[in-house]
Amino acid sequence: MVSLRGDKVEIKTLDKLPEKIIIPLRQHRGMVCEPLVKKGDRVLIGQKIGESKDYNSSAVHSSVCGEVIAIEESAHPDGNKAMSIIIHPEECDETVAFSPCKDLKPEKLAELIKESGIVEHYGMPTHVVLKPKGKNIDTVLINATSSEWIGGTFKTPRDYASQMMDALKLLMKAAGAKKGAIVLRIDDKESIDAFEGIEVDKKKLRVAPLVGSRRIGYYFREQSSDIVVVSQKRIYGKKILNFFTYNVTGRKVDIGCDPTDVGVAICSIKSAKALYDAVHEGKPYYETVVSIEGFSDNMEYIRVKIGTPFKDIIEACGFTGEIGKIIANGVRTGVAQYTDLVPVTKGTTRISMQKPEEVIRDESVACIHCARCVDVCPVELIPSRLAVMADQGRFDECRVLHIDNCIECGDCAAVCPSKIHILQLIRYAKDAIEMAYEDMPSKESSNLKLGCACGGE
Amino acid sequence: MTYTISAPPHKKDKLDFRSLNLSKILALLPLCLVAIYFFGVPAFGIILASVLAAVATEFGIQTMLKQKLTITDGHAAMTGLMLALLIPPEAPLWIPVVGGFFAIAVGKHVFGGIGSYIFNPVLVAWVFIRSAWSSNMIPLSIPHTGQFSDLILEHGAGLMVDVSPIALIGGVYLIYKKYVDWRIPLAFFATMVLFPQTLLFISGVSALVHDGVLNPLMYMSQLFIFLSMSPEIPYAMIGIVFFGILFLATDTPTSPVTKTGRLVYGVTCGLLVSIYGYFGNYVDGTLYGIFLANCVASFIEINTMPSSFGTQSLPQKVYRRVMDKVPASLKFEVMKNE
Repeated sequence: MVSLRGDKVEIKTLDKLPEKIIIPLRQHRGMVCEPLVKKGDRVLIGQKIGESKDYNSSAVHSSVCGEVIAIEESAHPDGNKAMSIIIHPEECDETVAFSPCKDLKPEKLAELIKESGIVEHYGMPTHVVLKPKGKNIDTVLINATSSEWIGGTFKTPRDYASQMMDALKLLMKAAGAKKGAIVLRIDDKESIDAFEGIEVDKKKLRVAPLVGSRRIGYYFREQSSDIVVVSQKRIYGKKILNFFTYNVTGRKVDIGCDPTDVGVAICSIKSAKALYDAVHEGKPYYETVVSIEGFSDNMEYIRVKIGTPFKDIIEACGFTGEIGKIIANGVRTGVAQYTDLVPVTKGTTRISMQKPEEVIRDESVACIHCARCVDVCPVELIPSRLAVMADQGRFDECRVLHIDNCIECGDCAAVCPSKIHILQLIRYAKDAIEMAYEDMPSKESSNLKLGCACGGE
Repeated sequence: MTYTISAPPHKKDKLDFRSLNLSKILALLPLCLVAIYFFGVPAFGIILASVLAAVATEFGIQTMLKQKLTITDGHAAMTGLMLALLIPPEAPLWIPVVGGFFAIAVGKHVFGGIGSYIFNPVLVAWVFIRSAWSSNMIPLSIPHTGQFSDLILEHGAGLMVDVSPIALIGGVYLIYKKYVDWRIPLAFFATMVLFPQTLLFISGVSALVHDGVLNPLMYMSQLFIFLSMSPEIPYAMIGIVFFGILFLATDTPTSPVTKTGRLVYGVTCGLLVSIYGYFGNYVDGTLYGIFLANCVASFIEINTMPSSFGTQSLPQKVYRRVMDKVPASLKFEVMKNE
C-alpha cells in the first residue's frame, strides 16, 4: 500500500467531457436527498440539485453545465444502486455565482458546510461530525495520514500547510472546539517538512511524534498551544475512527459508539480543503482528486468532476488492455465494481485496476494456526479464531474476543497462507451482531450487552 | 466488458501453505546430505522409506475417504522427512515405513488433518515406534559437543539429526525470512541456556549455605557464575536440540497463536527439555519434552488471549496507581521551557 510517488507529481485534469455525468443523490450516510431539478432542466456548474430537510444529510451539486436527461436508479461505487441525476454535459463553463463568505458565525459555518455538500470520505456529512446532536466536540483532528499533500490543489507543500491550518481553525470554529490537531504520517517527510515550524498565533509549532504514552494532550501542554501537529504510523481500514481516536487522544471509545461520543471530530484532508474552498471562494464540493493505480508502477493523480463515470477516467488515462477487476478505494479494503459506469462520488479516493492475470483466485484450505494474522493485527485481535467463530455462527464468542475493535484493514486476510477470507468472515459476524441489536427488544438485551453504553447512538 | 467481483482484500501475499512446507524441506536438505555422507546408503534408504510411506498413507487415506488429495502441499513429505531424521540409521527399513504410516494416519488424519491435530505427528510416530521397538530405536551413541568442530561435524552422532548442528542454519534463515515466527525459538533457546546456569548458581549458593557462610558479598559473588559456562551446556547444545528448537517446536498447529502465548510456550518447551535432559539424555529429552509441551499448548493459548487494545495490563495499572500518588513536583518529566 505504499504509494510509489516520484519527486514530481502532477495532477492531471480530466479535460474531455464524458458522455453523461451520473450524480448519486446519496453520497453520504444518512437521508437520501430529494432532487431539486426535473428531467429536461438545464443546470449550471455548482448548482444545487439535491437537498434534504433532514439534519443528517448533505446537499448535492451539479459538477457540469448541461441538461438533465434522467433521474433514475444507477450503479453506485458502494456496490448497490442509488437514485441518481443523470446529466448530459455541454462544453460550457457557466457557473452559478460563487460568493466567498469569510467571517461567518459558527452556526452559519455549519450551515455552509451542509449547503456546500462537504462530506467525509468515510461517509458522514462533515457538519454532523462537527456538530453532532446532543454531544459536545472539544477536539478536532484532521487525519492526514493516508493522503499526501498533493491530495488537493496545492502549489507548494508550504501552501498546503497554511491552508490546512486555516481549514483546521475553520473546522474548530464550526464545531465550537477549543483544541485541534493535524495528524501526519510519520514516514511522510514532505508533509512533515511542510508543517515544521509553521506559525500559529505567533507561535512556532514543531511536528511531534506520537510515541509511547505521549498523546496530543501532552503536546498541547508541552507546546502550550491549542493547535498541534503530530505524526504517527499509517493506519488504514474501513472502521479506523475509534482506534485512531485512541491512538491520537488516548480516549477510549466504547464499543458501539463513535468518536463524537468522547468529544472528538475527525475530518479528512479532502473535507478540510473543500471547506477552505467553500469559505474563500464560495465553491461547493463538486470536484475531487482521485488516484489511479494499475496502469504503471506510478500512481497517477487526476482531478475529476464528481459524477464522472470510471469508464471515462480509465479512457482518459490511456489504458486500452483488458481489465479484470476495477476497485474503488484501494485494493485492500475497496469494493470491486461490476460495471465501469459507476460514477466518482465524494467518497471516492482511488480507482485501482487489475489485469485479468492479476486477479487472485485462491482456494481456502484449513487454518494452520501460523499466527501471521495475529502478528499483523493492529488492534491485538486473534483473527484466525474470530474467523472460525464467525464461520460457525458463534457470534457471542466473537464479541467476547473484541470483534468490535476490528478496523477492517484486511491485513489478516492478505497475509494468510491458507487463503482464508478472514476479513469477510469478520465482517459477516459484525453485521450479524449489529442486526441482532436492531431487532432485539430492549428488555431482552440484559443478558447480552450490546450497543453504546454511554447514551450515544 | 465483464469484471470480477469479490470481497476485499483484492491483493494478497504470494506465500501459501505449500511454499511454507517446501521451504522447510529445503531447509532440511543440507542436513540430509551430511547425514547420507556420514552414514552412507542406509540413511538414504530410511529417508526414502519414511517419506514414501508418509505420502502413500496420505494418498491412501484421502482416496478411501474420498477427500481432496493434498499430497502436493508437501506436508506429508515434510512429516516423513522429519521422522526419518529421528530414526537411527541401523534400524531395519520397516521401522520408518511403520513410522511414516503412523505419523500420517494416527498423528494427522485421526485428529482431522492439517491444523486440527494437537500433537506433532512426527513426535506421535516417534513416541510410538520408540516404545514399541525400543531395541531398534536406541541410538548407538549420544553426542556431546566437546569442541567447536563438533558443531560442524559431530562424530558421536547416533541419529541423523545430530550429524551437523551447523547444517540446520536453514531454520534460522526461515526465521529471518519470517516463514517461521521468532518467539518460540528464541524463548526456547534462552531457557535452554539459562536453566543449567541457574542450576549452577543455586548449587553454588546452597554450597555456601551448607558451609555456613555469613558474608553477603560471598553470595553476591556467586552471580559471576552466570559468566562461566555450565558443564551441562555442551550436552544440551547438540543437533537434535537445535532441530527441536527450529523445526519441531515451531510446528504451527501444535503451538499457541497468541503473542505472549508463544513466548510462554517456548519457555515451557525449554524447561521440560532441560529437566528431561538433565536427568536423562537430551536426545529423548528433546522429543518427550516437546511432546509434553504440545499437551499444554492450548491451555497456554486460552490463558493468554489479548485484551481489547488500550486496556492497561497489571504492571501498568500498578505503575499508574503509584505515579498518581507522587506529587507533581517530584516527577521527572521531559519538559522544555522555551
